[in-house]
Amino acid sequence: METEKLESLLIDYIDGKLSSGERAMVEKELAENESAARLYEQLKQLMSQIDRAQKFEPSASLKLNFGKVLHQEISNSKSRPTFPETSVGKQVFLQPMILRIAAGFIFVMVCVGIGYWINKNNEQQREITRLRQEMDSTKRMMMTMMTNQQSASQRMLGVAASYQMEKPDDEIVNALLKTLNEDPNTNVRLAALEALGKFHQQEHVRTVLINALAKQKDPVVQISLIRLMVEMKEKSVIKELDRITKDKEIIKAVKDEAYSGLLKLS
Amino acid sequence: MKSEVLPTDEQIMEAVKNGDLQQAAVLFDRYHKRIFNFLARMAMDRDMAEDLTQNVFLRMIKYRGSYREGNKFMPWIYQLARNIFSDHYQAGKNKYTGFLDVEKMSDTRADSEESKWQDDREELLQRSMARLDEEQRELLVLTRFQHLKYEEVAAMLDTTVANIKVKVHRAISKLREHYFELEKLG
Repeated sequence: METEKLESLLIDYIDGKLSSGERAMVEKELAENESAARLYEQLKQLMSQIDRAQKFEPSASLKLNFGKVLHQEISNSKSRPTFPETSVGKQVFLQPMILRIAAGFIFVMVCVGIGYWINKNNEQQREITRLRQEMDSTKRMMMTMMTNQQSASQRMLGVAASYQMEKPDDEIVNALLKTLNEDPNTNVRLAALEALGKFHQQEHVRTVLINALAKQKDPVVQISLIRLMVEMKEKSVIKELDRITKDKEIIKAVKDEAYSGLLKLS
Repeated sequence: MKSEVLPTDEQIMEAVKNGDLQQAAVLFDRYHKRIFNFLARMAMDRDMAEDLTQNVFLRMIKYRGSYREGNKFMPWIYQLARNIFSDHYQAGKNKYTGFLDVEKMSDTRADSEESKWQDDREELLQRSMARLDEEQRELLVLTRFQHLKYEEVAAMLDTTVANIKVKVHRAISKLREHYFELEKLG
């Protein structure tokens, strides 16, 4: 008997998955063929070793840390009651750092306002310059965070900070796009997508998002991108969605989303 | 006495999706050891497996909107774990080398003769597993260590049961070769 077939039968024999006829055939082979018997002994030893294999116990800190993360997410979701539940998968975490950046923004704005009332001309000019500098330094900080190769959470914070901006400049859009297409971490890519989606009214952003659909390989990002295209009512992606439904390499969940997108857009 | 029927994983996940986030703790309790063991066997590094497990459940909460009602929960959570694992090793510097650092896997070492023998066998098994390619190792971890049914793995990997069975048998055969080769080398 061919070795591969014999080995496969022996595995099923050890697993107790053979019919009585096949069992008799294997037992006959074992009695007559010494190398088959040797193979059987090795398989039996290996498979029983796998059955006895150690079950690893995670440390207590895993559960503790999960408890903290869950607690934080519950308080975050309570502070954002206006988000519909169906879109919660795309939310960006509000971290203390973001709150600090936001608070910094508000503080600067208040300072500028007071300055305006006190001194109309020179003071106003000075305050505006200062505001610009503050915005520049915030932007630089965001860009530094976004390009931090060591830490995905820092990049996530950088992306989330850009989400707070009313109207990002080209530099920010390009950094977000680079993150969307190249970041090794799915969570960071999704956050970049969420941030870009917020600015989809801008023609440049719209175009880069449409082009990103053909490039993305990660199913989670693909699904979110398709949903965004549907929200944007972007009919020019119909051809690409059609291609996705026919691509054998792409998993079923993404195809389902593409079908649903096609239905809504066509 | 009538026993209380526990809610299914799917019912709990639907509740999480609909905003009852506290229920995520129940799913964590039910699945975190399995997911941790899966990732520990895949990554060959227990500390790393803890970090990755933490990420799996974080992603489960954050992307709860992507869970489809009516779908089975178990394949979905395993799929998250597989994605997290491949995300991690796709980043160039984290490339999996197939080299087993025993210190990263072992518990405190046993002192009795019998448990020392069992420890040595376990180490031999881990070294042999480390020599398999990622696909074969994953199939063995899922079907032999985690005891998932061929049907479940086939659905997860979007292939047929017959195909999974052939691949699992080939992976066992390869593992057997490595195991007895390494045993001979001592």
